[in-house]
Amino acid sequence: MKKLFAILFSVFFLNAHNASAAIDSVKAENFIKNVTFQGIEQLVNADISQSERNARFTKLFNQDLDLDFIGKFVLGRYWRTASDTQRKEFIDVYRKLNIQTWSERFNEFKGKHFEFVGTEKSQQDDQIFVVTQVPMQEGAPASVKWRVKENGGQMRIVDIIIENVSLALTARSEYTAFVQKAPDGVDGLIKNLKSKLK
Amino acid sequence: MKKKMKKTMQLLAATVCTALINISPLYAADDDSALESYNRAMFQFNAAADYFVIKPIAKGYRAVTNEFVRERVHDFYANLKEPISTINHTLQGDFAESGKSLGRFFINTTLGLLGTFDVASGWGLKNNRTDFDHTLAKWCVPDGPFFILPLLGPSTPRTTAGFVADSLATPNYWADYYASFNQDWERYSFYYGIAALGFISLREEKIEFLDNLTANSVDPYATIKSAFIQNRLKIGACGKTEDNAQNAGYDFDFDDMGDE
Repeated sequence: MKKLFAILFSVFFLNAHNASAAIDSVKAENFIKNVTFQGIEQLVNADISQSERNARFTKLFNQDLDLDFIGKFVLGRYWRTASDTQRKEFIDVYRKLNIQTWSERFNEFKGKHFEFVGTEKSQQDDQIFVVTQVPMQEGAPASVKWRVKENGGQMRIVDIIIENVSLALTARSEYTAFVQKAPDGVDGLIKNLKSKLK
Repeated sequence: MKKKMKKTMQLLAATVCTALINISPLYAADDDSALESYNRAMFQFNAAADYFVIKPIAKGYRAVTNEFVRERVHDFYANLKEPISTINHTLQGDFAESGKSLGRFFINTTLGLLGTFDVASGWGLKNNRTDFDHTLAKWCVPDGPFFILPLLGPSTPRTTAGFVADSLATPNYWADYYASFNQDWERYSFYYGIAALGFISLREEKIEFLDNLTANSVDPYATIKSAFIQNRLKIGACGKTEDNAQNAGYDFDFDDMGDE
């Protein structure tokens, strides 16, 4: 009887937990629609000065990407052993380098537009994939999936998967490969990342 | 009979690839240190060749051409690859697509002035490129381990087999072969030059992307390897696509974060 009660209770609890935490697919899709609109129409395609472009990009990036979360993931197993100072320094330089990299690479989307295909479930309740595709001049459209995470009612992007390539996973492979070889570990990584900032 | 033939072809392809994987110690099943150190050394070699020779030529090509010209060159080479798509769509049993790419080849070679203009796209015959790598995938040939080819870069045994087979299906290859057979060295160099320009044109298209990657990556080899392998999961054996986004191992779970 006690066992049955426990099972019933846990089932109820799990369901209640799922129902309350599950991320709203319509809301997530609208969130990405807004991000791509701002990114394409008001940034890449807009007739604005470079400094204004950089300012808008930095704002969009900080507001809609959860760099703290992604940063933890990309450092992989080394996040656990890193000190608080190292963690803080890493996230800081990782954020700056990403803004620098993507403000340049974002121009690749010039003249392009996103078509919204739907959403896909994630194994985590608080996350969802918004599925989009970008028509290309040649061949099949490019697939772009956005992993969106909801935290305290606020939605943020935690990964972008372009043509099956996860940016977070690629960065994790890169950074863990570097730390593994670097004689001064995470400090060496932070130093190298800093040297890349313009 | 047709079915039997197809089965035999599949078996043959699978055997060749398995043999290819087994004969060389470089094609070890796991990414062991011998393969890794060979790959890194070859990557370094390619990077140096690119820095000192290939990229400067690509930049020179950009300097002496404008975007319109480069687009014509791009379309010309895309058209040369059209017979590859035709053959491979047929080998994949997709006859409608095969007819489409054959139609594209004829239209673009004639009305599109030797392929320099993609007229067929405007008529609704969109580019539907495929290659022998996709054919092998459809025939259930596994990809094999990641390795770096001299000058050509990231590959697997299957992409390499595909590249060799596709090269044999390019009109340019046969024109070159015919010229050397007739000992017509002027023509031979001309067709060789066409192949070389195609390579430079491809490199020119990637200037910004590769510059950005090498400038911002702490380990460009690891970055390219990871991205290449993830992308390859899309073309799995027997038409199986592994959706990388959904892969459980990549879910953001910090309590069970596996070693990379």
